[in-house]
Amino acid sequence: MWSKTPEVKPSSQSYNQPASAPLVSPSAPARESAATPAGGATSKISSGLKINGEFSGNSDLYIDGEVLGKIRLGNARVTVGPNGKVQADIEAREIFVDGTVQGNLKAGERAHFGATSRVTGSVLTPRIGIDDGARLRGKVETVRTSPARESAAPANEQDSEVLQPVAASVKVE
Amino acid sequence: MNWMAKNRPGAAGAATGAAPIKPGPAVSIGPSANLRISNGLKEFLWLISDVPHGRILDLGPVWQSTVSFFVEKGYRVSTEDLLRVWKDFLTDEEEGFRAAPVGADTQRVSPAVLADKFLETALQYPERSFHGVLAWDLLDYFDPEVAPRLMERLSLLLHPGGAMLALFHSRPTERFHRYRVVDSQTLELIAAPTLAVHSHVFQNREILGLFGEFRSSKTFVGRDQVREGLFLK
Repeated sequence: MWSKTPEVKPSSQSYNQPASAPLVSPSAPARESAATPAGGATSKISSGLKINGEFSGNSDLYIDGEVLGKIRLGNARVTVGPNGKVQADIEAREIFVDGTVQGNLKAGERAHFGATSRVTGSVLTPRIGIDDGARLRGKVETVRTSPARESAAPANEQDSEVLQPVAASVKVE
Repeated sequence: MNWMAKNRPGAAGAATGAAPIKPGPAVSIGPSANLRISNGLKEFLWLISDVPHGRILDLGPVWQSTVSFFVEKGYRVSTEDLLRVWKDFLTDEEEGFRAAPVGADTQRVSPAVLADKFLETALQYPERSFHGVLAWDLLDYFDPEVAPRLMERLSLLLHPGGAMLALFHSRPTERFHRYRVVDSQTLELIAAPTLAVHSHVFQNREILGLFGEFRSSKTFVGRDQVREGLFLK
């Protein structure tokens, strides 16, 4: 489901490529590193839980339940598990999705959509990985922005151009 | 963008300032891959090359290789798997019809009315959002009454001077395929579970009618008799 390809090594180095690295990562990151990140605690919202609110902080977050609201973990990783259902904008260093997300995603370093992911919303990220079978209804835009600059200036110029794919603003005459 | 005024790719017309078509990122393709040389894609890329950071709407499923290809060229990509969204919509409609209480107004509506209802939730982007639209062969799978309404909406979404690539089969297809970009002139056909049955074989004049609001068109016919149409708004 979260397949690796031989050319990608599951090391933390792959998350720190220089600015000259390809904008789009050709394959998935290591699955195990997404589930158990090195360093720092991971908060978990298990299947069966439903939470409505705003998340902020620096702890990694694993969601396998339902979340409504807003998630802003600028320097952490957010993982939406296969049972996870999120209706929220997500802003994080890394975003991994195997479940369902309705909202705009903004990743400081990378975003990855697994084969079972269902995403509706725009995606703003320096690098993106998409497994076959993923469903994305929205916009993908890549930015060459360092995480530090990203957190310092979250509302950069490119953000203002992000389309809202689910906005009902089309007029049919 | 002036189609006729543009120089051919690789010709001496580099002086126009149009960005040359660069090869896309390497994509690992298995030996059994079903590849198709696409002059339509090549021409599509040439047409949108005037817009350095243009927006592309891909109406097929999202593929890593297609997104990578366009993103690495500097384009912004939106995807909406229109056929899947349409199928989900029809399923919901059918369930609503079955669940309606006895005596309720449960008359089945015409495809055209369904299309109008569908477009209340699908393809919801501001007008002139995109410089290029990849429609693949999906129009073949929509009811002939629905296709014109889709085209009307897609035409609104396309920026003046923008281009649309659409494929039309010359006979009903036996297998359902999805398309993804391998490089600047190669598509990979991926056999997929049938989402919809082939609905209509469009005649050339019908195609011209569908794209009546576009100012010019060009068609490439492959050995498999699939017509690749390129339409310039």
